[in-house]
Amino acid sequence: MTLEETYFKLGGNYEKVIKLLKSPVLVRKIALKFIDDKSFELLEKSFNEKNSSEAFRAAHTLKGVCLNLCFDRLCLTSVEMTEHLRQGNIDDKAVEIFGRLKEDYLVTISALKELRTVIEKQ
Amino acid sequence: MKNRTIKPKILIVDDSPINRTLLSNILGEEYEIIEAENGAEAIAILENFGIEITLVFLDIYMPKIDGFGVLEVMREKHWSDNIPVIIISSDDSGEHIEKAYEMGVTDFIGRQFDAAVVKRRATNTIMLYSKQKLLEDMVANQIYEKEKNSNMLVNILSHIVEFRNGESGLHIIHVKIFTEILLKTLVSITDKYKLSSEEISIISIASALHDIGKISIPDAVLNKPGKFTDEEFKIMKTHSKAGAEILEQLTLYKNEPLVKTAYEICRWHHERFDGRGYPDGLKGDDIPISAQVVAMADVYDALTSERCYKKAFSHEKAVEMILNGECGEFNPILKECLKSSAGNIKNELVHISSAGSPEAKMPEITPEILSRGELSSFKRVMCMLGCEREKNKFVSDFCNDIIFEYKLDPSILTLSAFGAERLGLDKSIVNPLEEPAVINRIKATHNTRKDFKEYLSEDKETITEYKCDIIFGNETKPAKVILKKLYSFDNKPKYIGVVGKIIEL
Repeated sequence: MTLEETYFKLGGNYEKVIKLLKSPVLVRKIALKFIDDKSFELLEKSFNEKNSSEAFRAAHTLKGVCLNLCFDRLCLTSVEMTEHLRQGNIDDKAVEIFGRLKEDYLVTISALKELRTVIEKQ
Repeated sequence: MKNRTIKPKILIVDDSPINRTLLSNILGEEYEIIEAENGAEAIAILENFGIEITLVFLDIYMPKIDGFGVLEVMREKHWSDNIPVIIISSDDSGEHIEKAYEMGVTDFIGRQFDAAVVKRRATNTIMLYSKQKLLEDMVANQIYEKEKNSNMLVNILSHIVEFRNGESGLHIIHVKIFTEILLKTLVSITDKYKLSSEEISIISIASALHDIGKISIPDAVLNKPGKFTDEEFKIMKTHSKAGAEILEQLTLYKNEPLVKTAYEICRWHHERFDGRGYPDGLKGDDIPISAQVVAMADVYDALTSERCYKKAFSHEKAVEMILNGECGEFNPILKECLKSSAGNIKNELVHISSAGSPEAKMPEITPEILSRGELSSFKRVMCMLGCEREKNKFVSDFCNDIIFEYKLDPSILTLSAFGAERLGLDKSIVNPLEEPAVINRIKATHNTRKDFKEYLSEDKETITEYKCDIIFGNETKPAKVILKKLYSFDNKPKYIGVVGKIIEL
């Protein structure tokens, strides 16, 4: 599996990320680092603890990372999450958005992990 | 030896490791990257590196202290005058951008960004700022050179007079140092004379001219070995007025502060506080403070020097004689200053006599400019600071000691790497006194019940040592804490913080 295929799988924009960050090696390095990124974990934790300001910050960080990496699918849901939490409410709507966001997150992570396994085997 | 080029330092402040890695990778080739994962850490780093940081990339949303918090401290401490900040944020709401610009940031980069654009903006910003800094340095150096030259001229002029008198030139140097120390002590204990750093500097320079009137004294009198007759003494006494007249007749510069001050000093440095001096018999504070201080300095140096008619008195004896009024009466406030700075005066004068040149001391920069804080970019000072910090960092990273530093403004506690690990605390903690994790970890002493917080506050003891219980990780153990209080080197020393060490018992 190539980096381009991974991007396709996780709903990202490969062409754009290469155009922006120039180096495929750098993109791959940063993308794989996303597997260990703690922002989603923090978002989920703060979400469960009903800590909306911390949840907002985590969603915002997640959004930033997705923007930089052109993970468009996860980016859309995290933008939606961020904007909703900016108002400060963890309500039913927030739970609904979070559900979709988690789904996108898991798709992204699974695609990235697959790439990591392939690279490790090489 | 390996060629070690020094790359400019960039500070990247972002709570997301991914974002930091991305920027480091983009910029790492051309710059040395320092990373901070929150505002508190960023402030500690800025405090430590100062203007060695050439650029800050700053995120807005962060735990502990956010981007705006960092900008606020940077503005308060005038760091933003010299260190440009570029905000990187995915939050491109107009409100935030505007607030950021208002708080003095140079640029705003939204996510997603183009790596090439980030690089280009970094270079442009740094170039712009370094050009400005270069200009400031040039101005500062010119001022320094100028001040050095005029200082030198004053000293040569005074030396001519001394030379004729068969003296070595040390006298004027001693008088100058004595004057400076006494004036600094004076402003630290009273506001009565309202002297700025600049005025102190002018009085110190002008003190060198106090005896120029001796140029008008005939050789036969001036260099007579042994005691003067009444008639000769009368002639000698004319030197103070004569010096003032020389200055008064200057066509140019008559109204310059330096000349005016020199006039006061020349004319009245033999007046005494009780009105028994000469030439005008002025009393009390009718004698300008400049002349009062130089008078004391002159007497002190005369007492501690050997003359053909007398031996040199010891420093202690000379101070005692002045305080007892054996050389005429002085202002009680100045006597108090002499008492409290006697040790300092002795040290400095011994240092000068053995080291020879006073030029070896730190350069004097026009205080007005120094106080504006803009020309702290003096390269040599920076180099010294850099070396000190490297030494410090080495010691603190590799020693298995719990070393800490507490700074007051902004309030930050910094721990050595080992210390942070041993105590289970962050390496830098903002507002540590409000932080239960810190305060509860270091317990109150057994006997006095004084706690860490009290020990960190200002008091007279400079070095304190006490025993208490400390929680290391999860385990409470007895320990010894040694603290040294730090004070600024200003005219009025200000309490700035503490360095200390914790020793497990």
